[in-house]
Amino acid sequence: MSVVVAVMRNELRAMARTRTAVAGIVLLAMLATVATVVSLHHMADAADYRERQQAAAQADFDAQPDRHPHRVVHYGHFVYRLPSALAAFDAGVDPFTGSSMFLEGHRQNTANFGDVMQGSVLTRFGQLTPAFVLQILAPLVLIFLGHGVLAQERERGTLRQLMLQGARLRDIVAGKLAALSVAATIFMLPAFAGLAIMAARPGASVTVAVVLMLAYAAYLGIWCVLIIALSTLAGRRRDALLGLVGIWAVMALLVPRLATDAAYAAFPLPDRLQTDVGIAADLRAIGDSHDPDDPYFADFRRGVLERYGVDRIEDLPVNYRGLVAVEGERLTSGLFDTYAARSAAIQDRQNTRVALFGALSPAIPLRQLSMAAAATDLSAHLRFLAQAEAHRYAMVQQLNQLQADAVDYADDTARDADADRRKRVDSAHWQAIPEFAFVPEPAGRLLQTMLPAAAVLLGWLLVAALLLALATRRLGAAR
Amino acid sequence: MTLWRYEWTLLLRARVAVAGLALLAVLTCASLVSGVQRMDSQRAAIERIPALQQTDLAAVIDGHGDSTDAGHAAYYTFHPTWNAPAPLAFAAVGMRDVAPYILRVRALGLEAQIHDGDTFNPELALAGRFDFAFLLTFLLPVFVIVLFHDLRSTEAESGRERMLRALPHPLPRIYARRAVVRGVALLACVVPLFVGFALHQGVSAGLIAAVVGLTIAYTVFWIALALLVARRSWSSSTNAAALITVWATIALVLPALSHVAIERTIRVDQGAEIARAQREAVNHAWDIPREITMQRFYAHYPEWQDSPPLGDGFHYKWYLAFHQNGDDSVADRAAAYRDGIERRSDAAARLGWALPPVGMQAVLTRWAGTDMRAHLAYQDRIRAYHGRLRHFYYGYLFRDVPFTADDYPRAPDFAPDHR
Repeated sequence: MSVVVAVMRNELRAMARTRTAVAGIVLLAMLATVATVVSLHHMADAADYRERQQAAAQADFDAQPDRHPHRVVHYGHFVYRLPSALAAFDAGVDPFTGSSMFLEGHRQNTANFGDVMQGSVLTRFGQLTPAFVLQILAPLVLIFLGHGVLAQERERGTLRQLMLQGARLRDIVAGKLAALSVAATIFMLPAFAGLAIMAARPGASVTVAVVLMLAYAAYLGIWCVLIIALSTLAGRRRDALLGLVGIWAVMALLVPRLATDAAYAAFPLPDRLQTDVGIAADLRAIGDSHDPDDPYFADFRRGVLERYGVDRIEDLPVNYRGLVAVEGERLTSGLFDTYAARSAAIQDRQNTRVALFGALSPAIPLRQLSMAAAATDLSAHLRFLAQAEAHRYAMVQQLNQLQADAVDYADDTARDADADRRKRVDSAHWQAIPEFAFVPEPAGRLLQTMLPAAAVLLGWLLVAALLLALATRRLGAAR
Repeated sequence: MTLWRYEWTLLLRARVAVAGLALLAVLTCASLVSGVQRMDSQRAAIERIPALQQTDLAAVIDGHGDSTDAGHAAYYTFHPTWNAPAPLAFAAVGMRDVAPYILRVRALGLEAQIHDGDTFNPELALAGRFDFAFLLTFLLPVFVIVLFHDLRSTEAESGRERMLRALPHPLPRIYARRAVVRGVALLACVVPLFVGFALHQGVSAGLIAAVVGLTIAYTVFWIALALLVARRSWSSSTNAAALITVWATIALVLPALSHVAIERTIRVDQGAEIARAQREAVNHAWDIPREITMQRFYAHYPEWQDSPPLGDGFHYKWYLAFHQNGDDSVADRAAAYRDGIERRSDAAARLGWALPPVGMQAVLTRWAGTDMRAHLAYQDRIRAYHGRLRHFYYGYLFRDVPFTADDYPRAPDFAPDHR
């Protein structure tokens, strides 16, 4: 054990003496700090902004004058999604999806105004978040620090001297690994401090944050082990460096993009035009509420008249137009849900295909786990869409029902000059509509979705460790 | 001449170098195929428009029935617009994987329609595409570093440099020759493949030459950087480390930092705010006397003010007028929003002069018509087309001209502006 500690201490001392190593460590630690501070600030701004916008939208909605309920259906409502508690750690798909949505009758809108549509080409170079620094940049700096730790000893022949003094090869390798891990820890500290601040806030789960930290520790651990293993295997420092940089470029930059292309090619997503025209055609196949001879709505009318035991629409105790609106919305929303579910299923399959590429790069499971933990992944976005849609449906149906109950059929169909006034309903009614509140996934479910990726990361750690053991044994045999 | 041949033999005898060059060629091919596939799928989607539109329009005409109200047509007819990829788009997908390239519009308020997105998987967009622009910007420099970091140091390290110095040939010329050979080898893995694909895609010769020139310039920049580092006579691994540091800094770190700086300095009104203001203006019309709406509309569009006065009943010209008033009420903000986005993307493009990887992306997406400016230009075309559409329907509504099934095909078609 003492040998391990001695080697580690020696290695750290060597790093501290090398100007480039110190510069690398300080720069990356600084970058991690800057990314954390900037990202915390940015998300606080975004949260504040969206909260104010939501309040303003709600105030506008409530301030509507007395109106025909169907006007309110078309007036619609804007809902905003507040950033999740850990979003400042990993912005995930947030910049791509946008966080606001317009809800109205008969239509299912998309969330829009994502940062990527309001910014420049630079959004695509990577967001300055702690996740970006730890996922992409930290491994590269670790490669610079660690590629030579054993290759150099071999190059200079100092390894033999060390072993002549009675040090076991295993202990030397372990000591070097420990030293590199210290550097990795320094990189993680600023980001983890930020994460701890976020996790302490209400609504955040400490368990999720801890698992997230462990996942990043495992990820950088994988890199440390890989670096030492390659350094042990390579005869020369240069070979170790080039090999490792190549591996990094493939794992961090190339494979994620190849995975994207593969997923895209395997599961094409229908575009919006196809979807919209498809929904419209399906709707027409069901029936046309404006057509008095339409079989579906003729049946519907018969059912309504039977239920109330009257012969004419005019004799109904409720406004028939409102009932048709309720039924129409039920039909369209059913179709929206079907099409949305189909699209979500395809996107889910695409992401599962990307996950398969986790066998080629630990960056993929880490990224999926990280986004899931921060609730900034696709499923969190789809959750927002689903809840917004549920809210839209409830709101619209409440208003349609109001039209059925509170607007007189004779008034609703009247066309005289005063009719418009008689159709209006007291504005207190929409103030009674419950406000939208996004409910995030409970921590337990989050942890469950993080499990597969965590297992893949552990697998990587195991494989890397095995590689290191083999490399160490080979070096021992070659000695 | 023989010296050149020896230099080639020397390069091709190194197994690592040959493997690296082969890998580069394979990756280049993959990136080009990926881009072409992507654009083919977008073109196929655009080709589907007429058939889908036919189905939809037939149903609208059918629903029109015996009515002669142009308002019905204006309300229910969606008109497709599209932004076809330019021939070079396959090389730099740019914004095309997140920005909608098909958008249907109605003659109603445009501000509520123009920002609608298409369906895309945001996780895939986040990872980015593996296109030619990515290969050039991010991967090519790594290959340059691998091939050039030991151009000189390997001779020094192996002790051969002293011997070479003793030869009658001047040493700088040997290194220069070696650099040229390696540079040409690298470009040979990239350029012919690109030219082949570009010719196949019908890119103009001038544009192909420009991209090839840009590729060469970008490669020369990295080679020059490598040679500059080589002059310090450090060890091979120190050279490699220094070059990779520069690469990571200007390709990853500084762009991310600049992004934050640009977003902070160039403030842009959030689009959702404008959409809300427009919605407010539109819906307010239901609560004010209709004459006020019409007066406001005629003040902007005097060519329609001789239209007969509104009766008691609902008239679509009033409905379309207040939709237009809604757009007009936020026109200044919408223009400012557009300009803000343009200024952001111009700032990023200017940054390209200082950061070659950013410049590479900016120039390639510009030429390929896949950058933010191209998307804004598409939006401008939609706005112009929307203006023509409204004018078409106004001609019926404000003059009370009956609109029949035969009039549907008379609506103006969207004219895609091919670059």
